[in-house]
Amino acid sequence: MPTVPIKDEHRVGTEARHKVEPSAYLQKLFQSGTPDLGWMKETGQWGMHAKPSGLGLRLKDIEIGSYGVVPERGGKHLSMAPRGSIVPDNVPSLGFTINNKDECWADNVTELYEEAVARQWSSARDIPWDELKPLPDDLERAMCQLCTFLTEVEFIAADAPTRWMSRINQDFFEVKLFLATQAMDEARHMDVFRKRALANGGGLGKASAYSELGLKKIFDAPSFSAQTGRLHLLGEGFVLTIFRQGEFIAPSRVDQEIFRRCMQDESRHVGYGTMHLRAQLKSRPELAEEIHTELDDAERILLEIFSEPESVEPMAVLMGGGLAHFDKGMEMQSQLWRRIVGEYLQRCDSAGLDRRPRCLLPTDFAKLVS
Amino acid sequence: MAPNFPEPQWFLALDRLMAVRGELFRRIGYVETRFIVRVLPDEGGGGEERNQEERNQEERNQEDRDQEDRDQEDRDQEERNTGVAMQGYALTDAVALAPGAAASFDADFTICARGAVWRRMLDEIARGGRPELRHTLNSLALIGDELWLESADQLREDKFYRFNQSLQELFNLAAELPVG
Repeated sequence: MPTVPIKDEHRVGTEARHKVEPSAYLQKLFQSGTPDLGWMKETGQWGMHAKPSGLGLRLKDIEIGSYGVVPERGGKHLSMAPRGSIVPDNVPSLGFTINNKDECWADNVTELYEEAVARQWSSARDIPWDELKPLPDDLERAMCQLCTFLTEVEFIAADAPTRWMSRINQDFFEVKLFLATQAMDEARHMDVFRKRALANGGGLGKASAYSELGLKKIFDAPSFSAQTGRLHLLGEGFVLTIFRQGEFIAPSRVDQEIFRRCMQDESRHVGYGTMHLRAQLKSRPELAEEIHTELDDAERILLEIFSEPESVEPMAVLMGGGLAHFDKGMEMQSQLWRRIVGEYLQRCDSAGLDRRPRCLLPTDFAKLVS
Repeated sequence: MAPNFPEPQWFLALDRLMAVRGELFRRIGYVETRFIVRVLPDEGGGGEERNQEERNQEERNQEDRDQEDRDQEDRDQEERNTGVAMQGYALTDAVALAPGAAASFDADFTICARGAVWRRMLDEIARGGRPELRHTLNSLALIGDELWLESADQLREDKFYRFNQSLQELFNLAAELPVG
C-alpha cells in the first residue's frame, strides 16, 4: 500500500508531554502476528436480524430481543457505553442525574424522532422567498413584530431541554435523539422568522421583558419534568396555536409555508411533552403538585405577556387583515383565545393532569381585562 | 367515469397521483395516520331534516333525470364518511363508512365540513392548484365554524398538525383529477 503523506511528519511528537508505553497486547501482536480476537466472544445478544419496514430501518425496527428492552433504571456505570453492549468495569462516570426511565421517557419518543428526521426542512430551500411581495405598511409591521416575538422565544426550546439532555442516562438515548431534533427544529424556527422579518422591507421590532421572564423561568425550572410542563405543555402548546393562526393570518404564500412547516415541528414537541408527563404522572402521581405549581406561574406570565400591546395588536391587525379592521381582528382573536385555552386543557387531560379548577387562563379573552 | 369526492375511489385516484409526485412527498416526509373525511349535508338540505313534501317534490323532479344523477343527489343529502389510512408516502386504505360505523375505523381525527365547504375548497384547488390562503385545511379548522376536527384524544388530533403539509398536498393533487 502506498504511504499516506503527512505534512512535516518529522516534527510530529517532538514536544509531546506524555510518553505511552505500548500495551502488552500490542507488543504480543507485533511479535507474534497472532490476533487476540477475544472481543469476538464478548458481544451482546448475537444473531439479531432487524428487518427494515417499508420506510427503511427505523428505531422501532431494531427494538428486537434484549435490545428492545428499555430498562426502568439506567445503567449504574453512568457512561455512554451503548445499551446492550458489554460494558467494561473501568468506564468513567459522566455523572448522569436522570437515571429513571419515567423521569424522561415518552412512549411515542422513537416515533417522534424518526418522524422529525424524515420531516426536516430548510428555510433557505423550501420557502418560496421569491414570491414575497411588498405588503401594506401596517401588515408588514405587524408581521415583523410577530416574527420578532417568535425569534425571541423559539430557541428556548433548544437551550433549555438540552441543558438536561447531558444529564439523561445514556440508556435512554432515544430521548436524547428526539431532543436533538427538537433543538434543530428550534434553530430553524429562529432562523426562518429572523429571515422573514428582514426579507420584505421591515426588520425586527420590540423585544418583551415579560417574554424574557417566561423564558428565564423555563430555563431555571428545578427538574426536567417541571420544565416539560412549562415548556412543552403550555409554552409550546401556546406557540403551536400561534403557528396555526399564522397560516390563517398569512398575508402571502411565503408566510403560509413558514407557519405551516413550523406548526408541524411544534406538534411533535407538544406530543413528546404530553406523553412524557403522562408517563411521569402515572408512575409518580405526587409530582402533579409540582407541575401544577409550575403551571400556576407560567400561566400568570402568559397573561402578563398578553397584557402588552406588542403581543396583542400585531395578531389582531393580521387577523383582521389590516389596521382598518382592528376590531374584527380582536373579535377573531377572542375566538382563538378560547381555542388556545381549550387545547391546552385537553393536553393537560391527555397528560393526566386535571388542570381545569386551577387554571388561571380565562376561557373568555374579554375577562383578561376584568 | 371519474370518481366523486368523497368516494374511496376518489382518494385512491389521489394515491396514484401521489405515487407519480413521489419526490414532493418524500421531501416533505413520511406520514402515519388514519383519519375520516366527513361530508355533512348542506344546510337546509340534509336527509333527516327534509320534510316529506320536499321529498315528494324532489322525487317528482327526478323522474326525468337519469339514474346516475339520482344516486348522486341522494348521496349529497346524507352524511358521508370515508376512512383514509396513510402510511409512508401512500394511502393504504380508503373505505366508505356508514355513519354509525365511523368509530370502528379507529381514526386519529375526523375532518368535518358541509358539502359546500368541501366543494369550495376543491373548486379553488381545481382553479389554482391550492385553496385560497384562508381556505386551507388548517386555516378552516382553526376558525372551526365551516370545517372542524373531532377526536377523542388531543394527542391523536395533533397528528392533523404533525402531518398537515402532506395532507394539504394530498388534497391539492385534486387539481390534477378529471372533474367527476
